[in-house]
Amino acid sequence: MREKPISRSRARRLWGTLTAVGVAALVVATGAGTSSAAVHPQASQSSLTIWVDAARVPQVKAYEKAFPKVKVNLVTFDAGANGSGSIESKVALFNRVGHGWPDIVFSAEANDVQKLGVAPFNFPAVLNTDGLLPNGLLRNYAAGANNPCYIGGKLECLRNDMAFDVLWVNVPLMKQFGYTVPSTWQQWQAIGENLATKHPGFIIGTLGNSYDDAIYLQAAQCHMNDLISPTTLLDNPADPNCTNMGALLDPLLKDGSVPAANVFGSTFGKTYAGKVLMMVGPAWYGGAIFQSNSSLNSPKGTIATYPPLSWNGGRAWTGDVGGGLWIMSSHTSQPKLAASALVWLATSTGSQSLSQGYPGYVPAAKVWIAAQDASGYYASPLAPTFAIAASEVWTGWAETPWDVFGIWASTATPNLVAGQSVSSQLAGVGAAFSNYAQSAGYQVVAKS
Amino acid sequence: MSVTTSLPAPAHVQRRAGRGRVGGSQRAGYVFVAAYFVLLLLFGVAPTVYALYLALTTEGGRWTGLHNFIATGRDFRFLPAFEHIAVYLVIWLVALVVLVLFLALMLHGAVVRQTVPFFRFLFYIPGALAGSASVLVWLFILDPPISPWHFVLSVFHDSNLGQTIAPGHLPFIFAMIAFWTGAGGWIVVMNGALNNISLEVIDSAKIDGANAWQLAVRVKLPLIKRWVVFMLILAFAAGTQLFVEPQLVGAASLGMVSVTWSPNQLAYYLATQSANFNYAAAISVDLLVVGLMAAALLVFRSKMFEIE
Repeated sequence: MREKPISRSRARRLWGTLTAVGVAALVVATGAGTSSAAVHPQASQSSLTIWVDAARVPQVKAYEKAFPKVKVNLVTFDAGANGSGSIESKVALFNRVGHGWPDIVFSAEANDVQKLGVAPFNFPAVLNTDGLLPNGLLRNYAAGANNPCYIGGKLECLRNDMAFDVLWVNVPLMKQFGYTVPSTWQQWQAIGENLATKHPGFIIGTLGNSYDDAIYLQAAQCHMNDLISPTTLLDNPADPNCTNMGALLDPLLKDGSVPAANVFGSTFGKTYAGKVLMMVGPAWYGGAIFQSNSSLNSPKGTIATYPPLSWNGGRAWTGDVGGGLWIMSSHTSQPKLAASALVWLATSTGSQSLSQGYPGYVPAAKVWIAAQDASGYYASPLAPTFAIAASEVWTGWAETPWDVFGIWASTATPNLVAGQSVSSQLAGVGAAFSNYAQSAGYQVVAKS
Repeated sequence: MSVTTSLPAPAHVQRRAGRGRVGGSQRAGYVFVAAYFVLLLLFGVAPTVYALYLALTTEGGRWTGLHNFIATGRDFRFLPAFEHIAVYLVIWLVALVVLVLFLALMLHGAVVRQTVPFFRFLFYIPGALAGSASVLVWLFILDPPISPWHFVLSVFHDSNLGQTIAPGHLPFIFAMIAFWTGAGGWIVVMNGALNNISLEVIDSAKIDGANAWQLAVRVKLPLIKRWVVFMLILAFAAGTQLFVEPQLVGAASLGMVSVTWSPNQLAYYLATQSANFNYAAAISVDLLVVGLMAAALLVFRSKMFEIE
């Protein structure tokens, strides 16, 4: 087959047009890029754009009802849950075009402000200036509740709910098997080893979740993700606090009493309903795992919480798995109104009684937990345990711009599932933290 | 047998005839391609030019030469991502060429002619599912407790999703998904190419005593070589840009696949999570260059555009 080649002159003309249009496109494109510095005023007075996930919609609806004069433009999205980074990707684009930011955003990831609060995002408004917050508001928060909100001395969000870990226990099952509730990790381990031989198939925890580093390593005061200065990370996977916890977990992973199962896996509920003797996990496990129809669906009156385990009887510390943040945009055209809405959503009883997790604001938390306990679902009241655990979150496991859960999930979890030990994963995870920290401009040290 | 096929007119006759109608046909031609040309400029050429501009400048628009390329090349996630994609490409391209050609030749040489449309349809069906939807189908297939093929997975000692998607399995799994969704269309294309081979050629080969194997390998294959090269170029480009599969499998396994598994994911991560559009553009340009180099190599080695 013979084809007729395009004549030279015609080809040249074609390229001429192409280049001209290409240059025009470039001019248009770069023009759009340079306007990113300009801030476009947002909508008229008394209107707020608020972004939340589905679980937080009732809180915003309550705000609309309480303040009918404020026109709320409610947008639902995933709130960045499971490290999806959706807030960052939206803000990156809004910053580029110079408009579009919401006034208030709810984040489901406790480390989001550490990412959004620095260049190139610079998204959150600083709240502890200009009298934006009522006097004494911060003093009513649980100790350390707003730690994820601070960048240096600047407060850049308000905590919605706390996610400290407690010991979840199936009380009737403990009695039936003849165990006493442990108060140390060592006692917990001994029960696990005994359980594996006497009652195989029953479990005292899991090791298949992305946040297992915050459940076990943070509680063990492991110095692998400790910000010792605003730009220095202490990351020492050989720290005895880390290796001891690894050694404590290794036999339990092997004997199956702490399996590499994900509590959100497709068959967790089916496999382990009625088989969970104990579980070390966050405050929100009650609703999300034990009481949930689609998960363990534990009967009323069987589940109770106990305070965090100590290491050999020393001072008990615990981990922290998430907990939502209310963030106000620094680009809002009405900071006073937005700040008052933010405070209402984060601290008022009207909003926080609808919270899914234990409120960080203590007066609201008291009301919330009283309602939980009044439901009579738990075998004993949650209030005393939660009050203890809320003050025992170890601060040496920092909220950082890198996603420590995502790194654990992609670095350690596949190997744990494949049968490797926890101890053998520490070095790899430590190296990954170090890589991420360095690429974010942090200095990494192995000794403080 | 009388030859009824009309031979093409001699070149000088064609040219003269063409020249007579140049004005009209040219205008009509431009009108026909105009709509496509505008879309190509808006969504193909302009973003590419913009990516090149971003890749060579800083956040503030200052010229930086190759700095963005060097910085991303030194990123600790860069090499692993390209290693992953290299292993994946070898598996996927070999499987694609061998299996697509095998199935297309089988289809073309089918003894029972009536079955051809049925099989052609069967091969094509999975490709009709949109990319991300087909990955979701695979997520069910790969999760042993809910998979209809759990007995196949149990042969590999996979009893949960975590075991199925162990890091070493990922390139094979993504290649399997890509083959399942993409190969059917290519089998149909190859079948069409094979149907274009003149019956006279095949008949004369048969008269010369060629058996089915010789006919397939010595006669049919060389005649559809350009189609194979064309398939390889497109499959290579699509393969280096792998994104949906690792992204969705990662989300479904609650993070067990790194968010920077493939270079395209790394570019996406840098753009959306570090807001570094310049680094992201540099990696995109890397992928463009790799794709162009592979295409150029294949085109020149196979003399694809040479006119016989």
